[in-house]
Amino acid sequence: MDIKLNNKKTSIASCTLQELAQEMSLPEKGIAVAINNQMIPRTEWINTPITEGADIVIIKAACGG
Amino acid sequence: MLQFISHYTEQYSYLDSIRIALQGGCRWIQLRMKDASNDEVRPIAIEALQMCKNVGATFIIDDRVELVKEIGADGVHLGKNDMPINEARKVLGESFIIGGTANTFEDVKAHYEASANYIGCGPFRFTTTKKNLSPVLGLDGYRNIINQMRDADIHLPIIAIGGITAEDIPAIIQTGINGIALSSTILRAANPIEEMKRIINITKP
Repeated sequence: MDIKLNNKKTSIASCTLQELAQEMSLPEKGIAVAINNQMIPRTEWINTPITEGADIVIIKAACGG
Repeated sequence: MLQFISHYTEQYSYLDSIRIALQGGCRWIQLRMKDASNDEVRPIAIEALQMCKNVGATFIIDDRVELVKEIGADGVHLGKNDMPINEARKVLGESFIIGGTANTFEDVKAHYEASANYIGCGPFRFTTTKKNLSPVLGLDGYRNIINQMRDADIHLPIIAIGGITAEDIPAIIQTGINGIALSSTILRAANPIEEMKRIINITKP
């Protein structure tokens, strides 16, 4: 599905934030994620669905993305 | 996204202010104690970090790169007069978030190239909290910077900062800004926890 990732239109395969973290190989530390402007703690990633057109912001220390 | 910048009043200490923000649902805290020494900041930072960990909130400290590394905070926010971002990156390595304050697109670009992970962009309007001389940006300033970032293919999360009140938030989010940093406006409310909840609701699309 298509989402907005850090203000850029992006196509992803994941249906939850947990899956997206794996898809993007997000690190364990130094990361903050928000969907539609709401910060989502890591413990809630597994139960957080991603819907078409979601506005996702990922702040992460490692380069790229 | 809402970043709460710790603050104190006659009524509330730094830690009180962080507790209030977390209880109100904020999950991104910046500890800012500009005129204190590292030894004064350390015990407060350690307790604040634990409070954030308990609820899965992100915890960053203003300036004080070494302290961030020492206690294992999530990252650091660097203002214009703090350590340069590329130097901080050398100290911290790749596993810490580094945010930088920007007033212009040129600042944003420089921070991006120096490996910043997010931008705090402001001031939105004149503020007495921070005695800086940078020109206020307003909504047009944000629109311009967001457009220039898009044109330059710089996709870095950017939050607005400086003199923002709850009523300003919808229009700021409309410009393409990803989030807001707030400080004194929360503690000034009659019920700060409820005010935090209200503001988080406002940031929802």
